[in-house]
Amino acid sequence: MKKLLIHIGMVLAMLMVLNWVYSKWFYKKDLVEHSDIVEMSWQVTEDSCRIIYLAESSNNHFGDDEPNHRKISDFTADYFPMVKLGHLTKEASHAQTHYYLLKQIPKESAVETVVETMNLRSFGAGWIYSDLETALRKQLVLLEDYPPLMNRFLLAFEAYPIKSKDEWNALVMEHWKTDPLGFPYDFEWNNTHQWDSAMAWRGWHDAEGHRDQQKTELACHYIKSYGFQITDDNPRVKDFDAIVELCHERGWNLVFNLMAENVDKANELVGKDLMFLMQRNREYLLNRYGHLEGVTIVDNFDLVRDAEFIDQNWTTEHYYEYGRRLIAHHLAQTLRHFYPADYHDPDSLRFALQRQ
Amino acid sequence: MVFNSIAFVVFLPIVVLLFYLLPHKWRWLMLLAASCVFYMWFVPKYILILFITIVIDYAAGILMERYADQPRQKKSFMIISIVSTLTVLLVFKYLNFLTENLDQLCASLGMETHLMTHIILPIGLSFHTFQSMSYVIEVYRGHQKAERHFGYYSLYVMFFPQLVTGPIEQPGNLLRQLHEKKEFRYENISKGMRLILFGFFIKMVVADHLGEYVDEVYGHLDEYNSWSVWLAMFFYSFQIYCDFFGYSTIALGSAKLMGFDITDNFRSPYLSKSIAEFWHRWHISLSTWFRDYVYIPLGGSRVKFGRWAFNILVVFVLSGIWHGAAWTFLLWGFAHGLLHIVEKVLRNRIPTKEPQSKWLRISIDALCVVKTFVLVTLFWVMFRATDFEHLRSIFVTAFTNFGGGEQISVKSGMWLYLGLFILSDVLLRNTRFDIWCENKPLVLRWLLYSTLVFMVIACSSVNNFPFIYFQF
Repeated sequence: MKKLLIHIGMVLAMLMVLNWVYSKWFYKKDLVEHSDIVEMSWQVTEDSCRIIYLAESSNNHFGDDEPNHRKISDFTADYFPMVKLGHLTKEASHAQTHYYLLKQIPKESAVETVVETMNLRSFGAGWIYSDLETALRKQLVLLEDYPPLMNRFLLAFEAYPIKSKDEWNALVMEHWKTDPLGFPYDFEWNNTHQWDSAMAWRGWHDAEGHRDQQKTELACHYIKSYGFQITDDNPRVKDFDAIVELCHERGWNLVFNLMAENVDKANELVGKDLMFLMQRNREYLLNRYGHLEGVTIVDNFDLVRDAEFIDQNWTTEHYYEYGRRLIAHHLAQTLRHFYPADYHDPDSLRFALQRQ
Repeated sequence: MVFNSIAFVVFLPIVVLLFYLLPHKWRWLMLLAASCVFYMWFVPKYILILFITIVIDYAAGILMERYADQPRQKKSFMIISIVSTLTVLLVFKYLNFLTENLDQLCASLGMETHLMTHIILPIGLSFHTFQSMSYVIEVYRGHQKAERHFGYYSLYVMFFPQLVTGPIEQPGNLLRQLHEKKEFRYENISKGMRLILFGFFIKMVVADHLGEYVDEVYGHLDEYNSWSVWLAMFFYSFQIYCDFFGYSTIALGSAKLMGFDITDNFRSPYLSKSIAEFWHRWHISLSTWFRDYVYIPLGGSRVKFGRWAFNILVVFVLSGIWHGAAWTFLLWGFAHGLLHIVEKVLRNRIPTKEPQSKWLRISIDALCVVKTFVLVTLFWVMFRATDFEHLRSIFVTAFTNFGGGEQISVKSGMWLYLGLFILSDVLLRNTRFDIWCENKPLVLRWLLYSTLVFMVIACSSVNNFPFIYFQF
């Protein structure tokens, strides 16, 4: 037994040396190779950005025929020409991804304000258990708080949820079938799956009573994307809580940018019941985070009209230029409180906002 | 549960700790429970299939012993047991293949049928069914006493280190050891850890990196040139070897931690001078199974040449089908059998004298090793190809596209890992890693351990490559 204890001690010493070797010569290369998203964090730190904007595809998605490929973060930056604004945009990412990216930005960086995209759909099972999660979570393993060699060990031994597309889909379905919708009034269906199936069966009918299959399918997407109830134990809520805590620790201003949803379409295709859930989830987020010290919510929920949404046959937060400008304008009014002297109203925006 | 997962890294120390903490009389129960957890980590419901085969073979063993003086009765119990086990194998492994071919046959005769089934193969089915059959045959032959303790018998079939990919154990070895009281010995822990570390290195560092190239080339044949395809063939030979050898070594090490010695499955097979020798060094537990339960009962080599050739072909074709329900596997087995026969014919026809010169002897041996390796590598293409069309495409690209397509680039680290493995394989040709380490100086040993630990953690592939033999 004594021999065993001596050898355990030798193993620990060996691991400490190996960790030093790995951190010094291998870790950074591995980060670039297996967690390339971290390069965005390094970039905003290197660029001495004072405001950072974290987003999913809503920031960098443009219409096919759009000549202007400027992001929401670019338009926001126009309002503060003297303040360096950087963005961390990654498709299909969410608060958890952003939390890990924020952790990579050192406290002594130039960052003062963090704008975190708050996407209502990201709280739904369809996004939380998306089949893209395996790849996303794999990217985060090397960014854990453990010693670098331990992180590499966790990556090598697959300490992240590895599931096939079918397994993720089964998980989504399980939540759609079991998560209560929580209507305060009598509602015909107990869960998202039942509601979706009923819509698929009954169909969407136009004013003349004709079934429209394309709109029926889209209505089903809206039910699956927004037909849920956010509760305190929602994994995404925990991620947003972690961001709040991190920003508090680092002394950063935190702005949650609640993205605009296509409420016109939701209302047209599904109606008041879905609108009720969307509104209630919006209020939940406003109540939970709106009153916290150091946290501001920019509520763009119903700011953008149907015509400004690029994807008319899917549920996304992809906006044409005017929609992106509107959100940037709205966000800039909040950021103005932090940077009153640096605020500048760009002429181009006034021109663009004339459509309003 | 796969070996190269965080779940196993947590699971194994807990099991080993419990094993030594518990008194001998409870260890079987803990190991059985651990084996169930290990197996159910994949798809829990499949344990029922395992349970059915265990119950049938356990009962058959006892009944055969009870009717030992009534040969017909005894034989009928053995047949019932083997037929039931093979039926399970047939349904879960071969029914999809049979029905698909039946559909195709009917279609070629102008009849439209939809017999095709879509049954998912329970992991490791071929391994534990063969292990179970081994017990029944041994009891029938009187070489093994029937196991009366259902728990011990279940553990013999389900012992987690070798449950899903072997080695296929015979009861004379494993069942006996399960009954033995194992004392804690530092030597076992040390040897077990060495084997596990070495197994992780060859699986996660060598095999998985090679797999990245092989999958890329074989999956996009139209994009790559002939050189890339030849390189992929070469890499696949080592991928499959390192993958399976790695798994078997981890299995050996995991069992050794608790004092169990399970069968070595490989002995530097690519250093074989002939196909016959290759099969004495590759997947030894399966070769032994086929030798003991198919080849020898058919008459073995003590028959006329024609009959012997037939026996060889039967064994190799069965071995091919054992690996997978596809014509390509059958062809692979047949090719090996045929080459085995051709080699024997040539050996008989061309009598060779042992050369006097040492260097000439070494050169001839080296040439024979290269020849065997090249042939085995070519045959692995049949094993890897998804179907005949894929097989044809691989060979067509390999021989006709030297000018076009891309040349795959290989990371420099890859050659280093492969080189290290080949060196280790040569060094360990007559021994095993844990034994080889024993008489080395402490500093050298710890330097080696540190290098391996570092490579397993920092240089392993991060792509998920399931163990190739899991599909069998």
